[in-house]
Amino acid sequence: MVKKKIVAATGCPTGIAHTFMAAEALKKAAEKMGVEIKVETHGQVGVENALSPEEIKEADGVIIAADKDVQAYRFHGKPLVDVPVSKGIRSPEELINQIVNQEASTYYDSDYQESGNEADKMEVDERDQATKQNRRWVHSIYKHLMNGVSHMLPFVVGGGVLIAVSFLFGIYSADPDHEQYNEFAALLNQVGGLGFSLMVPILAAFIAESISKRPGMVVGFIGGLLADEGGAGFLGGILAGFIAGYIIILLQKLLKKMPHSLNGLKSIFLYPVLGIFLIGIVMTPIIQPLTSLNEGLMDFLASVQSTNPLLLGLIVGAMCGFDMGGPFNKAAYVTGTLLLSEGNLYFMAGVSAACIAPPLIIAFATVIFPKYFTKEERNAGAVNFILGSTHITEGAIPFAAKSPLIVLPIIMFGSSIAAIMTYMFGVQVPAPHGGFLVLPVVTGAFQWVLSILVGSLIGAFLYGLYRKKAAHNKPMRSDQYETFN
Amino acid sequence: MKHLINKDFILLQATASSQQGVFQAIADIAKKHGIASSAEAIIEGLKQRELQSTTGFQDGFAIPHTQTEAVVKPAIIIVRTETGIEWESFDGQPAFFFLSLLIPKSEAGSTHLQALSALSRALMDEEVRQSMLDATTNEQLANIVATAISGGEI
Repeated sequence: MVKKKIVAATGCPTGIAHTFMAAEALKKAAEKMGVEIKVETHGQVGVENALSPEEIKEADGVIIAADKDVQAYRFHGKPLVDVPVSKGIRSPEELINQIVNQEASTYYDSDYQESGNEADKMEVDERDQATKQNRRWVHSIYKHLMNGVSHMLPFVVGGGVLIAVSFLFGIYSADPDHEQYNEFAALLNQVGGLGFSLMVPILAAFIAESISKRPGMVVGFIGGLLADEGGAGFLGGILAGFIAGYIIILLQKLLKKMPHSLNGLKSIFLYPVLGIFLIGIVMTPIIQPLTSLNEGLMDFLASVQSTNPLLLGLIVGAMCGFDMGGPFNKAAYVTGTLLLSEGNLYFMAGVSAACIAPPLIIAFATVIFPKYFTKEERNAGAVNFILGSTHITEGAIPFAAKSPLIVLPIIMFGSSIAAIMTYMFGVQVPAPHGGFLVLPVVTGAFQWVLSILVGSLIGAFLYGLYRKKAAHNKPMRSDQYETFN
Repeated sequence: MKHLINKDFILLQATASSQQGVFQAIADIAKKHGIASSAEAIIEGLKQRELQSTTGFQDGFAIPHTQTEAVVKPAIIIVRTETGIEWESFDGQPAFFFLSLLIPKSEAGSTHLQALSALSRALMDEEVRQSMLDATTNEQLANIVATAISGGEI
């Protein structure tokens, strides 16, 4: 009889003792039973003895003995036994027997329904090797992105709402030189702003964390800060996160030859020092062109204002919706602000409309198509009503970041409609921020709100329909996204 | 790795008869030898960990451990009690042999963690456990543990 091959992953919350006890127990039991086993440990030092895709593919089955996430999606399509870590220590033979006797049920990762269709179940088959590889690759990118997004969300909501509340005291309430100045509002604005400003670094940090654990997180955070401070926005942050994650993977490969006893030195010294150095080297040249791009766009926008409102609205809407707070959005926004100071109140009206629309698109979509959003997303959607109404475009980012290629065009389209209508109505907005809170001073307030609502609702329908299609018309199960933790 | 364990960190024939008593004994040793800045914090940390899930496994062995700011330097403290104490172990047996792992908060990803995981692995070996049970002096036991964590058992 051919020797059975098993792969296993163990992990516990502290990652000091039980992870390794379970690994050892499984190894000993396997040895006794004449089964080949490889055990990956998710301890505090990170993942050791990691399983390669080939090893997983060749294995007859998978044992997970863990009280923490061990990236089970890798085991899609394999016979799998999933138990707490204590069970791995206590009864390793039983677990191995379940695989050997083929009693384990095949594992289907729920996220596979997102991207695929019924053919997913055939994935384990040998055929379609290329597409399979490809899809797995896309899937892991998506996983990394989601890890970043789910950690970023609380910062956006917490910071954004506090900033919005500060605007209730007046749009200039945080400016000590202005008559509206209010100490409490300034505090809200400052604290909220701080939380908000961590959004991009957190996004980058946890994209990288998903790729290469704690060492990656550190490098990703710095990369995100660089992107943010350099004005590269959330798209720059996503890029920084992935680069950071793979920098660590690369370093791990390069440093593989180092003696095992120096592992401690690696994670506490070499990874952070080399990683942060490298991300700085890589990000600096990327940020430079983004900044000059930013300036170029500003000049361009100012020159386009003389042409027809349709074209201007389209450009402004697309820019504001494209990266929501990033360089394109900022270029439009800053141009609007500059023109405001020169007495042009028309341009800003379109920019504001286009900046208010994206969160409202999300918010309306979660209300109109509640079945196709998770509970968490619906809650975040409700918050987007507040964020949108107060001109905080970034509220839409977590949703857009999940599938940017589809959601961004939808948002750009909705924003463009809002901007075009605003320009056609000739609305004038004298305030550079504040959303609907500045309505009393808007000339043509009704037309402005109408423009924004029309653009938002059209975008919301498109987005909702996309979500419906992505879910194969099946309503979300409440636990569907739990793996994103 | 010798500094993780020495004969002073071991208390055989302890009189503790409750979980609290065992933790107290561990914390006292830690405080006395400058391993921890506060005995109370160690007891609290061990308790918290125990609440998550039991650290007892089998044949009377348990590995209460904690990672807190109160730990000044990493160490392994061993307490063996005269009477068995209910520890919700996997095999339902009362525990009497406690290998306590104390780790400083800042110790993320260091070689000490490697040593402690090596000890955890070694404990899954029946022979190692038996030799620990057979040890009659602090020196003997300290040597067994030192061998186990130096990687000899991996």
